[in-house]
Amino acid sequence: MRGDRWRGLVATPQVASLIILAVVLVGFSLANPNFLSPLNISNMMAFLPELGIMALAMTLLLTAGEFDLSVGAVFALGPVIVMLLAQTAGVDIGLALLVGLAVCIAIGAINGIIVTKIGISSFLVTLSMLLIARGAALYITQGFPLKSWDQPGIFVTLLAGSFELGPFRLYVSLFWFVGLTLLAAYILNWSKLGNWISAIGSNRSAAVARGVPADAVKIGLFIATSVLAGLAGMISAFRISAASPVAGTGYELEVIAMVVVGGTALTGGYGTILGTVVGAVMLRVIRNGIVLIGVPGLAFNIFVGAIILVMLIMHAMIQKRSARR
Amino acid sequence: MTAEVLRLESVRKSFGSVTALRGASLSLREGEVVALLGDNGAGKSTLIKAVSGVHPIDGGAIYVRGEKASIRSARDAIDLGIETIHQDTSLAPDLSIARNLFLGREPVKLPFLGVFAPIDFPALRGAASALLKRVGISKKLDADAAVNTLSGGERQSIAISRAMQFAAKVIILDEPTNNLGVEETHGVLRFVKEVRDARHTVLFITHNIHHVFQVADRIVVMRRGEIVAERAVADTNLLEVEALIMGVDVSTLAEQAKVH
Repeated sequence: MRGDRWRGLVATPQVASLIILAVVLVGFSLANPNFLSPLNISNMMAFLPELGIMALAMTLLLTAGEFDLSVGAVFALGPVIVMLLAQTAGVDIGLALLVGLAVCIAIGAINGIIVTKIGISSFLVTLSMLLIARGAALYITQGFPLKSWDQPGIFVTLLAGSFELGPFRLYVSLFWFVGLTLLAAYILNWSKLGNWISAIGSNRSAAVARGVPADAVKIGLFIATSVLAGLAGMISAFRISAASPVAGTGYELEVIAMVVVGGTALTGGYGTILGTVVGAVMLRVIRNGIVLIGVPGLAFNIFVGAIILVMLIMHAMIQKRSARR
Repeated sequence: MTAEVLRLESVRKSFGSVTALRGASLSLREGEVVALLGDNGAGKSTLIKAVSGVHPIDGGAIYVRGEKASIRSARDAIDLGIETIHQDTSLAPDLSIARNLFLGREPVKLPFLGVFAPIDFPALRGAASALLKRVGISKKLDADAAVNTLSGGERQSIAISRAMQFAAKVIILDEPTNNLGVEETHGVLRFVKEVRDARHTVLFITHNIHHVFQVADRIVVMRRGEIVAERAVADTNLLEVEALIMGVDVSTLAEQAKVH
C-alpha cells in the first residue's frame, strides 16, 4: 500500500522532473566544484527569472490548448519602445513603461482575437506576430542597440535592483518570479478560472457547453503572455542597462521547452506550475553546467536537445501508464 | 396529463442555402422520455443544437414552461434548465470527476473575486461524493479521479448525473449509447429510467430503435427538417417506426422483408 502511494507520487510529471533535476544538480556539482560557487549561483539566479516569468504565462496558455511564438520578439520590442520614448522623446520613464506595456497588451489581444474569432491556429498567428514584433523592434532602432541607460530611479530599482545576501548577489527580479509563480499556481490549481483553463484545453466544446467563456479566457491568456514577455524584457534590459532589438531571439522555443519539460501537456488540458519552475531551473542549470564541465561550446545544443528529449519520453511513458484514453 | 415543460413552434433554421429545419414543432411533458428518431440529415442534430443554444433559431418560437424563451447561447439554455449531453464530448477528460461535475458552476469562497475566486474544495468534493452515491453509480468512484481513467459508460453516467444535479427540467441525450459495450449500454438505459422517475424530462436521440422500445414513452420522427410523426411506444411497433423513418408504407417494408 505504502509502496503504491510512493509509486503514484513519482509517477506525476512534476515530481519525476524534480527527481531528474536533483540528479542533474548532484552530477554537475560533483563534476565541477565551481558549479555551486556563490558567483555561479548568483549568475544563474539573475538570468532565471527573465525566462521563468515568460514560462509561467506560457504554462497557462498551453494548458488552455494554445501557444505563443511571439514572446521572444515581444521581449525585445517592449523595452525598445520604453527606452526609445525615454531617451529620444524625453518621455517620463514611468509613462514610457506604461506605453510599453500597453503595446504588449495590444499584441496579446490581437493574437487572441485572431486565434479565437477567426479560427486560425495559434502557431501561424503568433509566428506572424513574431515577425511583425521583431521587425518593428529592428526598424524603430534601425537595427542598433540603444544607448545604455544610466539613470537610476524607482522603476529601475523595482525592475532590476540588486542586493547582497551573504556571498550571493541577488536581483529584485527574483521576487517578481516568486510572486508571479505563486499567483500562477493559485490561478491554475485553486481558482475557478484555473478550472476553466484546464477544461478548455482538455475539451473546448464541453467547456463551452457548460457556459465557460472560452474565447474570452484565451484572449486574456494571450494578453497575459505578451505582458509578461514585455515585463521580462524590461527587467532584462534594465539589468544590463541597454535595450537591443535582437534580445530574446529564440527564447520562444526555450520557454516552450521549459514548460513541456516540466510536464505540462503541449496539447492542452494539463498544466503544472511547479513543473514549469523545475523546467526553467533545469534548462538554466543544464546550459550553465554543460559549459562548466567543459563540453565544447559548439556541441552544447546537442546535449540540451538530448536532455529535453529524454524528459519528454519519460513524461510520455508516465502518461501512457496512468491514463486510459 | 402532466405539465408541458418545453414546446417548439414552427422552428426554422438554415445554413446558407441549406434549410436544416423547416418549421419543426414539438411538445415535451414533465417526466416523460421522448425518443427523437430520423435518418442522417433529417435535422435531429440541428433541432437539439437549436434547443441547447449552439445554433440560435432563425424563425418560430421556443417556450419553456409556457413562457417564450430566447436561447442564444449554451448558457441561456442551461439557465432555463435545459441540459444537453453530447456523445463523448460533454466532459473534460483531464479533469477530475468532481471538477467536471461542477464545471462552470464551481462553488467558491470569496465570490467577489469573480473568476479569480478560490474554489471551495471541501464543498466540491462533498457534493460530488454525495451525487455519485445518490445516482447509485455501481462501482465505487473516487471524486478526485480523472475522467480519462473511466470507461465510456461511466463517463455517460457522470454527464447525466451532472445534468440531474442542476435540477435540469429537460435533459437531452445525443446518441448516449454510441461506442458503448452491451453491459454499459444497459447501464445507461437503466439510468435514463431513473432520471425519468426523478421527474426529469428526457429527449433521447438515437439510431438504435431497440433502445427506444426499452426506455421511451413516446417516439417523434423527423424527416427533411420536419416532425412527420408522433406515436406512443405502446401503440406502435418496430416495423412501423422503421417505415416512418424511411418515409415508406409499412406494407412496402413488409413486402421487402418477405422477399429477403
